[in-house]
Amino acid sequence: MKKKEFKVEDKLRLILVGNPNSGKSTLFNSLTGLNQRIGNFPGVTVEKKIGSVKINYQIDAEVIDLPGTYSLSPRSEDERVTFEYLSDNTRTDLPELIVVVADASNLKRNLLLATQLIDSEQPTILVLNMMDVVERNKQNIDIEKLQKRLGIPVVPMNARLGKGTKELKATIAAYQYQQAEKFIEDHESKDALQNTIYRFEKIKGIIAETLTKEGESRTATITRKIDNVFTHPVWGFAIFLFILFLIFQAIFSWSSYPMEWIENGFLVLGNFIAETLPSGVLNDLLVDGVLAGLGGIVIFIPQIAMLFMFIAILEDTGYLSRVSFLTDALLKRFGLNGRSIIPLLGGAACAVPAIMSARIIANKKERLLTIFVTPLISCSARIPVYTLLIALVIPADKQFLSFNLQGIIMMGLYLLGFAAALVTAAVMKYVVKSKERSHFVMELPIYRTPRWTNIGMTILNKTKLFLFEAGKIIIAVSIVLWVLSSYGPGEKMADIDAKYETVLADSNADLTVINEQIATEKLEVSYAGHIGKFIEPAIRPLGFDWKIGIAIITSFAAREVFVGTMATLYTVGDDENTEGIKAKMQRATFSDTGEKVYTRATGYSLLIFYAFALQCMATVAIVVKETGGWKWPIIQLVYMGALAYFSSLLIFQIFS
Amino acid sequence: MKSNLADYKVGDRVILKNVLDAQLTIQLYSMGCVVGEEILVERKAPFGDPIIISVEDSFISLRKDDAKKMEVELS
Ligand SMILES: Nc1nc2c(ncn2[C@@H]2O[C@H](COP(=O)(O)OP(=O)(O)O)[C@@H](O)[C@H]2O)c(=O)[nH]1
Ligand SMILES: [Mg+2]
Repeated sequence: MKKKEFKVEDKLRLILVGNPNSGKSTLFNSLTGLNQRIGNFPGVTVEKKIGSVKINYQIDAEVIDLPGTYSLSPRSEDERVTFEYLSDNTRTDLPELIVVVADASNLKRNLLLATQLIDSEQPTILVLNMMDVVERNKQNIDIEKLQKRLGIPVVPMNARLGKGTKELKATIAAYQYQQAEKFIEDHESKDALQNTIYRFEKIKGIIAETLTKEGESRTATITRKIDNVFTHPVWGFAIFLFILFLIFQAIFSWSSYPMEWIENGFLVLGNFIAETLPSGVLNDLLVDGVLAGLGGIVIFIPQIAMLFMFIAILEDTGYLSRVSFLTDALLKRFGLNGRSIIPLLGGAACAVPAIMSARIIANKKERLLTIFVTPLISCSARIPVYTLLIALVIPADKQFLSFNLQGIIMMGLYLLGFAAALVTAAVMKYVVKSKERSHFVMELPIYRTPRWTNIGMTILNKTKLFLFEAGKIIIAVSIVLWVLSSYGPGEKMADIDAKYETVLADSNADLTVINEQIATEKLEVSYAGHIGKFIEPAIRPLGFDWKIGIAIITSFAAREVFVGTMATLYTVGDDENTEGIKAKMQRATFSDTGEKVYTRATGYSLLIFYAFALQCMATVAIVVKETGGWKWPIIQLVYMGALAYFSSLLIFQIFS
Repeated sequence: MKSNLADYKVGDRVILKNVLDAQLTIQLYSMGCVVGEEILVERKAPFGDPIIISVEDSFISLRKDDAKKMEVELS
């Protein structure tokens, strides 16, 4: 890391760094309030939060919240991002001041990063955060002395209550770079390890001089008591499963209303655009292509936001790392680690953000495996497909051991996805080679009450990121699919128009019914229809006809498109519900044999297909980004496709 | 006599003497678990894996395999 020049000017950049959980984001939020936006670091999807704050009447500052890091020797992807950002010498637009946020109640290891930055001659200020905890623990820190020993300004704070903000701003405004005495001379440390050992020796000395203790800490005692239950080999698991159950109950029951509003909202918007814009290709493209595709992902926002909320709460309270502790022994056997549980849980909402959260896994192989298997977890986009298909083949009143059979099958599909993820990981464990040893060293933070504004921000930022990441792709693919299903080879499309021309002119005709009929016939002769018929021989052994073929193709972009395609194929109007599609699908027969298409065997086969196949462009795109290339997403796509195909084949053969 | 952390039972207090893996050392150090520091064995999952230890009120979870690489002495 090269030395950077620094002089306070009218505009400067504050870079917040510090250990995870030291309160960077809290400080960031209290400094910038709503003046913040979220971006990405180039090439990776690590969140980069940028905000602005007025330091005084004269100075404005841009504030960057970097991912948490313990030291300048990066271990995980997140830490690497921080390290690279700090060592990037090409940014010269603004003078930069590093604000190290340290948890003062854990001073020893929080000082490691600060001293490393001081030694690399960066302009640095130290914020001693969580002074309230220090007080509560009956400790006392001699700020003056610490400042002298470190050679940089030290500001005590309580970021949670915004205490010390004024002092911090004053310190920034008055900051002048001064060469501090080095902790470790370059010649003293041969390698990173030696360096760290020497550094800690010195830090211990400083702490002995500046920190005085007057009693036992209470926070650790409370945490121990809670952990007696939460990490208990039996109760711990029972509580975890119970919490999971509550979360999924909450997600599915609370999100149904907002989802309905969104659906209706898009319908109204679609109709509005369809009627106000001049009709024509552009109108169709906008309404049937772009808007329909967008609606398809926006509808999942309530569920996804809610899952983010629960995960954020579990994380903020410190509970999630206990879950990692509980599950590590199990997940280790499958080549994953305790941290993998977070992406796996998140995958139940949406694989895209879940795959992004795999960054917390330091071991490269374990991270790759987690990314690889996460899309096998049944996500919320599969719910509408499952719901329709289950309703189609299982009567609602059917019982199994006095439980509702439909519900059991739904649950079974979730378990199946989870099992498939574990088994796949266990196989991949032997395929992926790695020399890196697998460690699982993780801090268990003390329990805290969740900070609601932080959680609110997390939900907002992650949802936004999801919407834009997934949205871009879905819109693009929706347009392609719209073209494929609106145009066809030859004159057939025009022929259909001609055929119905006279019928439409008849004033007595029911226009909606006829328009639906036209749509169905057109889909059949469109490019998508041709592809569907072309692949029929391949999917017939699974019990699928060409219409299902079309639906599989159109839902390649996103699974939930299946329901919409079925609605079009079976000529069901917007005003009719799933019941309408269901009734028509139940009557469908194969054109050659005249047998019923939707038997129980086909239903199960199709369910399995949708549980396993990677029909989600957004997931593919995020895996490309996260693994840094096309190799893994392609392997994943082929693997999940083959798994889906052969499992469906097997299921169909068993049940028919 | 030197022994490794995995040999101790819950409630034991030991002093960290050496870590036999460079990467593990850095990880432990950055969490405040440094040679010379007192470690309390807090909790063990079934089959002794993983283990929770505490160092000066910081709780750290690690695998049995990692604990085997940590040379300690009873304090
Ligand atoms: N008691 C106390 N808690 C704080 C303070 N600052 C932050 N926290 C809490 O510490 C936890 C971690 O904070 P966060 O800002 O997310 O840390 P980050 O990982 O560094 O971004 C949150 O639960 C905060 O509410 C503080 O000054 N005092
Ligand atoms: Mg943060």
